[in-house]
Amino acid sequence: MISACGAASEPTAGSLQNRSQEDPALSGSGQKLAVIVQQQGRPTVQLRDLRNGKILPLRHFSRHQPHSSPSLSWNGRYLAVITQRGLRRQIVIEDRLSGRMLPLRLPGGQEPSRLSLSPDGRQLAVELINQGLWRVEVFDLKNVLEPDLAAGLQRSTRGPSGLRAP
Amino acid sequence: MMQSKTRMIAMSMIAMVMGSGLIGCSERTVKPMHEVNRALRQLATSQRAPVLGQDWLVTLINQRGREKIALIDLRNGRRPVPLPGLNRADSQPISVCVSADGEKLALVRQRENQTEVVFYRRSTALVQRLEINPRGVPRQVSMSGDGKQLAVQVSRDGRWDIDLIRLPG
Repeated sequence: MISACGAASEPTAGSLQNRSQEDPALSGSGQKLAVIVQQQGRPTVQLRDLRNGKILPLRHFSRHQPHSSPSLSWNGRYLAVITQRGLRRQIVIEDRLSGRMLPLRLPGGQEPSRLSLSPDGRQLAVELINQGLWRVEVFDLKNVLEPDLAAGLQRSTRGPSGLRAP
Repeated sequence: MMQSKTRMIAMSMIAMVMGSGLIGCSERTVKPMHEVNRALRQLATSQRAPVLGQDWLVTLINQRGREKIALIDLRNGRRPVPLPGLNRADSQPISVCVSADGEKLALVRQRENQTEVVFYRRSTALVQRLEINPRGVPRQVSMSGDGKQLAVQVSRDGRWDIDLIRLPG
């Protein structure tokens, strides 16, 4: 059954409404939005706080363009992006809480074409191209990232995991 | 003398690296979830456009030359769950996303020469068309984990915009 829905779209808040924006990724909480914008002709990831429209600073994503397929964890602590390193595409995760950058290598030197981070940041799904076919593989990040949990689900026994990213 | 000069050079290099914010950037090899990946390979020859919820994966799979939406429970069975009314012979999915709990889905699909955004709730199996206003051609969707908000990439006046839609509760 199909029904028309009362919900209607509205442009995103912020100062970039006159610029092209692609590849949207909302955080789990819906408070942050990552998009790809053209900066000096280079597709570059940009992160925005939807509560006030402000662009949030990113420490590690001013180089290695083109960027594509951004994905955010629940509070926006982790931002995963596909970047270009020389001739290779590489997944990089920025931990906005610690300021650390985490480049990931896929087994067998496979190259990603799209990605998705789970809301808690503990799993990563990657689209790969293999022998002309698209394939999806899921990877375990439990030993790589602390969980970024929704408020109310934060575990007080796991150190800084409950801290909110700015 | 020579040793102390070498030590000073090494220390200043470490300081430069730390100052540039590149600490902790060694590459990590990630561990595949073999059972999930095996189940995905058995499901279809080709899969694309993955989006993760919390223990849910939605992806577009190609079965017998037709693309359809598959929602997979990563905890139990790793088999696609039924999505009655969502996969239609007369429509082609372009982009799909899911809420963290796997209850709500949104997709861009092409149907009867129209590209539309639809919202789907598994518990009711109700498909709702979402209005794009001002008019434009949708391309890609992203849903917040709480299922309350949808970001839509829309082609409008020769450029890409991002629209936000507040989803029904």
